Amino acid sequence: MIEGSPSVEQACVLISADEHVVEHPGVWTERMSKSRWGNRIPHTEQQSDGTEHWTVDGEILPLPGVALTGALLHDPCREPQRWVDVPKLSYVPDERLKAMDAGGVNFAVLYPTVAGLAGETFARLDDPELELACVQAYNDWLIEEWASRSQRFVPQCIVPIYPAEASVAEIKRAVKKGHKGVIYPAIPMQIRNVPHINDPQYDLIWATCQELGVPLCLHAGSSKGVQIPIHPGMSPRVAAALQAVLRPASAVFDVANILFSRILMRFPNLKVIFAESTVAWGAFLLEYADHQFQQDRCEGYELKPSEMFTRQCFLTTWYNRVRTDIGYLGADNILWATNFPLANSTWPDVRHFVERGLSGVPEDERHKILWQNAAKLYQIS
Amino acid sequence: MKIQYGLISADSHIALDRDAFTKRLSKAVWGDRIPQVVETIEKDKPVERWIVNGRIRRRAVCNCPAAMDGPMPRNKYPDRWEEVPRKAFVPQERLKALDEDRIDAEVLFPNDPGGFYDYEDPAFELACVQAYNDALSEWHDGSDRFIPLAMVPLLGDTEARVAEVKRAVSKGHRGIVMLAEPSSTVPGFKHISDPYWYPLWATCEELGVPVHIHASAGLGDKLNVPRWEGYTPRQFHSAFTVPCGAWPAQLVPNLIFSGVLGRFPRLKWVFAETGIGSINYVREACDYEWERRRLWTEGFLQRPSEIVTRQIFVNFWFERSGIQMRHAIGIDNIMWESDYPHISSTYPQSWDFVLRTVEGVPPEEQKKMLWENAARLYGVM
Repeated sequence: MIEGSPSVEQACVLISADEHVVEHPGVWTERMSKSRWGNRIPHTEQQSDGTEHWTVDGEILPLPGVALTGALLHDPCREPQRWVDVPKLSYVPDERLKAMDAGGVNFAVLYPTVAGLAGETFARLDDPELELACVQAYNDWLIEEWASRSQRFVPQCIVPIYPAEASVAEIKRAVKKGHKGVIYPAIPMQIRNVPHINDPQYDLIWATCQELGVPLCLHAGSSKGVQIPIHPGMSPRVAAALQAVLRPASAVFDVANILFSRILMRFPNLKVIFAESTVAWGAFLLEYADHQFQQDRCEGYELKPSEMFTRQCFLTTWYNRVRTDIGYLGADNILWATNFPLANSTWPDVRHFVERGLSGVPEDERHKILWQNAAKLYQIS
Repeated sequence: MKIQYGLISADSHIALDRDAFTKRLSKAVWGDRIPQVVETIEKDKPVERWIVNGRIRRRAVCNCPAAMDGPMPRNKYPDRWEEVPRKAFVPQERLKALDEDRIDAEVLFPNDPGGFYDYEDPAFELACVQAYNDALSEWHDGSDRFIPLAMVPLLGDTEARVAEVKRAVSKGHRGIVMLAEPSSTVPGFKHISDPYWYPLWATCEELGVPVHIHASAGLGDKLNVPRWEGYTPRQFHSAFTVPCGAWPAQLVPNLIFSGVLGRFPRLKWVFAETGIGSINYVREACDYEWERRRLWTEGFLQRPSEIVTRQIFVNFWFERSGIQMRHAIGIDNIMWESDYPHISSTYPQSWDFVLRTVEGVPPEEQKKMLWENAARLYGVM
C-alpha cells in the first residue's frame, strides 16, 4: 500500500461496476420447457475426451471453456473445460460473497458470461421466441438465485434485441422483478439482421430506460466486426491475452457511435455505461470527437460530443492509472470495477490496483469513482 | 539538411502532377490503363477526375483542400486540374509553402490515386508503384526537405516486393507505407502477423527504414460500425473517422503479442494520423496482461511497454490531452504532423496550433516532439 494515502481505506464502500456471474448448467434446463424446446435449450454437453462445452440451438458457443473464471485459476490462461473444475467462488452466490469480502468489495454489478459478456449470445438466434425464452430464464435465475440471496448483488437484465416492443416488454418485466440495469449489445446489426442501432425504431428502448431510471449497459466485445482478427497461428494463451487487450480497445467504436447517433440528444436523461472499456483512451477519444465535430461543422447537435458524454456516459476502470487532471474525462464519468472472475480481473489484488490506479486522484474524486457514481446510478444506499 | 525553423511534419501528402504516370509508364505496354486525368460528367457537370486501369476515381482531382484559398477549416476540393494550387504539386512552390508555414521538412505519404493492388494485376501494380516511387525520388533529389515513403507492391511475389523496397530506398526513400491488416482489407492477402511478410520486415530492418501505417490504412470501411443511412455526410464523416483514431490500440498489441516486434527488434513502426492518445492504453494494457498472465512463460521475455518505447512512433496534431500524457506515451516516440495539403492540415498557421498544443511543455521536450525525434528516425541530420 502506498504511504500517505489512507483515504481509500476510509472509504468503507467499494462498488464493482462490472463483474460477471457464471451460469451453471441448470440455469436454462431448469427453467425452459423441455417439451417445447427440447435440445435447443442452452445446456452443457460432454465430448468424447471428457471435456464439456455449451450449446444453444444446436450451435456450440465460442467460449474457451465451460465457464470464464481465469482470475480464480492457477494459470489464468486455461479456462476450465469441465464443470467439476469450475471454482465454486465464481458460481455459488454464498461463496461469491466470500470472494468479494476477500477483495474488500461491497457490491457487485452483474453481467453474464454464457449469455455473452455483453449479453449477445441469444441475440444471434434467429427465432425470436427462443431468444425470449432464453433471456427470460436468465433474468429470472439472476433474481431467484443471486439478487434474492444478497442485496450486495446488483442484477442487470438482458433483453431480446428486436423488435423494440419485445425488448421493452422484457425490460419492464425484469425491472419489476428487481433488475437495475439493461444490458444491450452496442452494435446489434453486426450480430443479426436488424436495423442500425441509431435508427429511431429503437427509441422505445431508450425511452423506457430513461423513464424507469435504469442505465443502458453496453459492455465491450459484443461484436467482432470492430476488432482486428487474431492470426490462427497464435498460441491460445497469448491469443487470450491479446483478445483481452483488443476487447476494451474496440469499445472506442461503441462510444463514438453513441456520441454521434443523436440518441443522447433525444434522451438527455438516459445514462449509458460502457463496461470493460478502460479509461486510458477516454480523454483522447473525446478530444478527437470534439475536434472532428468542429472541423466537419457537424450540424444537428445541441452539444459537443464531450458535453453529451459528460452529461450521460460512463467508462469503467480496473487497473488503469486514472488521470482526471487532463480534461475531457472527469471523475463524474468513471466507474471502478474488478472484472471478477475474468482472467483480466484485478482480483485478488483488488486493493493494490485501487491504490496504484487512484494514487494521483483527489480524495473526493476517488469516492465518486469507487462508489458514489455507481450508488447513484443503481440507487444503492 | 539544416534545421532552420525547428519543426518537421512527419505526415504530409504528396500531390503528383497529372503527367506523373503518363510520362513514366510505357504507353505501348499499358495504353489507356495508365493513371491519368480525364474529363467526365458528375451531377450534370463536366469535371476532371483520375482514371486508373479504365476505372474513374470518383473523388476530387487532387485531395488538397488545405492548399485551396479561403478561411479555415477549408473544405473545398478542386473539380478541374486548373483549380489545383501549384503549391500542392510543384516541388519548388511547395518548398515556398513550407517556408511560409515555417516547417523544415515533410515526410511524404501517398495521395489519390493510390491503392494500385485494387486492380488485381501484379505487373500493372508494380509499374504504377515504381512510377510513383520514382516521382517521389525526384522530389527528394530536388530538395532533401522532402522525405519520401515508398509504396510497396502487394500482389506480386516476395522477391519483387523486397527488390522494390531496396530500389526505392537506394533512390532516397526513408520508409514504406503498409496496410494495417492486409487480410482484413483484401480477401486472400496474408494477415499482418503472418510469416509471409517476414522478408519484408527483415529488409526494412536491414535498410533502417520504418514501416508506416497511415490512418485506418485499409480498415476504414472493413472494420467499423456499419454506415447509418440517417447521417448527413458531415455527421457520417465524423462518426466514421473518430474511432479510426484508436486503431493503434489494437494494431500495436497485435504486433507485440504476435512476436513481430520481438523478431525484428530494430524495425520501427510509425502510426500516422491516428493521434498519440491511445499509446498510453497500449503500454498499460499490454503490460497488465503480460504480468497477470505471466507471458514470459510463453517466450515474451521483454515487458511490452519497453518494446513500444524501442519501436513505436506516433504523431500528434491537435491533442492537448495527448501532450499532457506524453510521458505515459513516450517523449522520444512522439512526432508532429501537418497533414498538408489534406483537410486536417494547419497550414499556413501551423505554429499557432503547435504552440497552443505544447503550451507549458519544457523546451527540451518540445524540441524532441517538434523535430528531433523525426530527424533521428528518418536520419535527416
